[in-house]
Parts: sequence; C-alpha cells; structure tokens
Amino acid sequence: MTSYASLPETGPTITIEDFLKFKEFFYRRTGISFEASKRYFVDKRLVERIEATGTANFRSYFTMLRFQASGEELQQLTNLMTVNETYFLREEYQFKCLVDSILPEIVRNRNGADAIRIWCIPSSSGEEPYSIAMCLLERWAGITEWDVEIVSSDIDTSILRRARAGRYSARSVQNVPARWLEKYFKGVGDEYQLSDDLRHAVEFTRVNLSEAADTLVYRNFDVIFCRNLLIYFDDVSRTTAAETFYEAMNPGGFICLGHSESMSRISSLFKVRKFPDAIVYQKGLESR
Amino acid sequence: MSLVKHKVVQLAVPDKPQPERSCSEPASSLKNADAAGRRQAAREIAQFPDAAVTLVSHLKCERNAAVREVILTTLVRLNDRSAVSGLADCLRSEDAALRNEVIGTFKRLGDEVVPVLRSLLADPDPDVRIFVVNILDSELHPEVESWLIDVIERDTHVNVCATAVDLLCEVGTEAAIDPLVRLKARFQFEPYIQFAADLALKRIREV
Amino acid sequence: MRRILIVDDAATVRMYHRGILESAGYLVEEAWNGIEALEKALEAPFDLYIVDINMPKLDGYGFLRELRQQQIAQQPAVMVSTEAAAGDERMAYQSGANSYLVKPVVQSQLLSHVRLLLGEANQ
Repeated sequence: MTSYASLPETGPTITIEDFLKFKEFFYRRTGISFEASKRYFVDKRLVERIEATGTANFRSYFTMLRFQASGEELQQLTNLMTVNETYFLREEYQFKCLVDSILPEIVRNRNGADAIRIWCIPSSSGEEPYSIAMCLLERWAGITEWDVEIVSSDIDTSILRRARAGRYSARSVQNVPARWLEKYFKGVGDEYQLSDDLRHAVEFTRVNLSEAADTLVYRNFDVIFCRNLLIYFDDVSRTTAAETFYEAMNPGGFICLGHSESMSRISSLFKVRKFPDAIVYQKGLESR
Repeated sequence: MSLVKHKVVQLAVPDKPQPERSCSEPASSLKNADAAGRRQAAREIAQFPDAAVTLVSHLKCERNAAVREVILTTLVRLNDRSAVSGLADCLRSEDAALRNEVIGTFKRLGDEVVPVLRSLLADPDPDVRIFVVNILDSELHPEVESWLIDVIERDTHVNVCATAVDLLCEVGTEAAIDPLVRLKARFQFEPYIQFAADLALKRIREV
Repeated sequence: MRRILIVDDAATVRMYHRGILESAGYLVEEAWNGIEALEKALEAPFDLYIVDINMPKLDGYGFLRELRQQQIAQQPAVMVSTEAAAGDERMAYQSGANSYLVKPVVQSQLLSHVRLLLGEANQ
C-alpha cells in the first residue's frame, strides 16, 4: 500500500482546511463522518479521485463534486471511502449481539415453534451467512430448541456460486478460532474448504433488491443482515430497500446494518434499539 | 433442532392483486383493515382512477407511519398533479411527523411540484414558507438559487430567510453575494443572520 | 466536561449553536435528525439535548418520546422551534422537553437555559 508520505511531490495536496471542508460536505450529503484520525485515509482517496478525474487540484475537484448534476463523482468517491473486503467473523460484535440479545428477545416473544428465519443480503462469497451459522451452533444455547433457517441472497450469480462452493483463502479465515477451523474446515493446499454440513445449512438465492417481483416471496424473516450495501444505493433505492425489508420481516424483527451505516438517512420505519454489543433497528411489534 | 434448509422462499405465497376488483374494495380496506392490509390496499389502489385523491384524503387521518410511507411512495409513483395540492395542505397539519414526511415526498416528486411550490413561497403562514424552502433542493430545479435570492431579498420573517441562507451555503453562487450583503443590513441586529450570511459569503468566495 | 448534543437538520444552525456552547466550555456533538440523535444518545447519553422540531425521518417530538421511553436517566432537553405557536410549546413539554426556545436563538438566552437545566445557574 502506498503511504501518504510517499506520494509524488508533484501530486495534488490536501490541506487541513480542505479536509475539514470536505468532511463537513461529505457528512451533509452521505451521513458518513470521519474523525481527524482518518485524515490520511481520506486524503489518499481524494488524491486518487483528483488524479483519476484529471482535475487540477482539490479546489476544482471539490467544486465539481458539489455542483455535478448527476452526482456520479460523489457516488464514485463514496464507494471508494466505504469499500471493504469481507472475511469470516467480520464485525463480530454484531454476531455477539445476535446470540446474546436479539435471538433471546425473539424467542421470548414467539408463539409456537416456527423456525427462526435469518436473511443475509448481500451474500457476497458467503463468509457472513456461514459465520452466522457457526456462531449459532457454537455460541447460542437456543439452537437445541429452535430450528433456524438462513437465507443468503445476492444479485451476482457468480459470487453465489463461489459462496455455495465454500472455498476460502487463509486470509479470509484468519479470525476463525482454531477449534472451529478444525471442526468446520478442511485444508486444501493453501486454502480452506468449508464442510458440507455447513454449506448445506445455508440457502443461497439470487435477488435484485430493487425489483419488487424478486422480493415478493421474501417474507416472515426475524433478522436481516444488510451490511455495507445500502451505502452504494441512491436515495430512492435505499428507501425502497427499507420498505422491502419492512414487508419481509415479522413484527418485532431486527435489521443489522454495517458498522459505518445508519438508518437515519434511509427510513423512519424502524425503531432504534440499543443492546450491549450493538445498535440495531427493529420493526414495531404493533401492527394496528 | 438445528440449522435447517427447507421451503426457504417458497414459504410465502405472494398476495397477487386481483385485477377484476373494484376501487371500492381497496378503498374500504384502506379504512378498515389492519396495518398490513392498509399497506396492501394503498399499493393496489394505484391502478384505479382518482387513486391520488383517495390516498391523500386517507393520509390525513392515517396514524400508522408504515402505512403513511406506502401511501406517500405510491403518490410519488403516480406523480399525479391532483395529489400535489392535497399534499400541500398537509404542510399545515398539526402533526409534525406528517409534515416532515410530506416535505420528504415533495423532494422526490420532481418538476410536477414546481408551480405549487412557487405559489406557496408567498403563503401568509411563515412556517409553510419555511417548509417550502426546505423542499427546494439543488437538484429539483435549475432556478432554485434565484428563488432563494428572492426569499432573502423580500421575505420579512427572519426564520424563512435563515432557512434560505442555510441552503445558499450549499448552492449559492456569485449571484447571491449582493443579496446576502443586503440581507445582513436588513437584519443587522440578528446575530444568527449575520453568522449564517457570513458563512454563505465565505463559501461562495472560496469556490 | 459536560456533553451536549445539538439535533438539527440545518448545518448552519448546528454550527452557530456549537460556537456558542463551545465558547462556554461545553463539549458538543451534532446529529442531523432524530434517528441519528437516538443512535448517538443510546450509545452514550449526553448531559443535555438541544432539539429542533422539524427534521426529516424523525422529528424532535418523536426523538424525545423515544429517548424518554428507552433511557432510564432523564437528561434535560431544550426544544427549539421556528414559531412561538402555543401548540408547539405544549407538544414540546408533552414529548419530554424541559424548556422551549424560539429561533433565532440569542446567545445569552441559550446559555442561561443550558446552565439552569444543568444546575449551574449560580456558578
């Protein structure tokens, strides 16, 4: 990775005033705020976009960003500021919240013995739904009493094929405890193959979240994980997605968003709930 | 008990809208059904004539936010002129949540709302004028800046002007410089206007 | 240092209030609407809230009602409105506000309400 200091001296520079001005603008538009400690991270990406767009300096790039009618550059930059690779047990505090707080509350309010349904979207290459499956088996006592169904969806069929195959790099499994690694994976060369039991425990489906016909059959979910997806959507698609989730959930169901995401710019349909490990969003129990 | 995989998405059978039903059916569900039924009625009603009018008139008495959200989304999709004036009435509602939902809806409606907004900028109620300024968004209409300039030149209510200046901080160009200076003179004893106008001037001169 | 959360959708208003409060020695954070304010307040409660009424997604009344319902400790809140309408003021107190100010807020007035509510009136 190129460090900030090693950027060529002729390249564009970002002053502290530029950073603060950008920080405030970016927060206004996207709701994403950067602490001062993120300065190098932000500067590096700004410089990258200034160079990619052929603008002369921060000033003219910032003008373009503010006044561009299509908002295309703002979207590009947002993607760059938020892009993250996925891996097993990423943002693990949310899985802890799932087993320690969310599932106990769901079973407490449950009449009958219907399976608990969890929906992961986007599925990506499967690290997230499989992480949930392992956490349930290893850390949730309720698994001896309740059936759980995990559905994992993505718009990209090639990534779904990879998810179903369950073959991962050492880097991807580096946070998995040794005991789990031994129990659920088999080393193949320098890669790890997930066990058939776990692969078969998750249902992978293709869904376009913006297509009403696609999402109509997704109903009665108790928990939805939708991490680092809505951030890439425009306003209308975000609102539509929130409504889709609302319809897809049981009353009292929960949504977990990504670490840097907030429902505050998306929808007022859900209640904010604070649990010891995380803030999540809940569909009201009442339906009058 | 364990992780299971069965029936997955086929579990739920979609409720298909019945094309042969008359408008009165969803219209009566809109009044009588539970929240899920009212949400569905609000969606189905879209295909009938006068849907926008029915939806807006129900909107004013609907207490459930999730139902209101479907009504408003449906209205945006219908983009029906007859809905706009009914929506504008909701800006006068005592219900703050409804007012703010309607402001959000206006922002999504696009050019249809422009003539209505223009006339509302002259509304006698300053709160309505504040809401209209809130609706004006840089992407809504190319003339937004000139309307905002009009507001800060003419409106006598300090909070209407203050709201316009906040937006000018974002969309203002050199055309706004002189009007901002005149605004400062007009409200020379209002520290907030001095602060906000100075900030807008600084932003404009930076570009 | 006492922490205050400013909840307002107008960036200029947030900056103005921030300036006044910071120069009086308070630690200030901002939220753009009621939902963001709830997220921040539930994460770590503030000593005082300054709350606008009209905001997108979740207005000031809704924010205070949720906050009062979900949090055991009841930190004071100042409601800020654009109009001196009696209905607004009554609603503000019913939602859980402890005082009420009309915009544009004057520095001395804001600080006296804040100090009073924080029990610092005589310091």
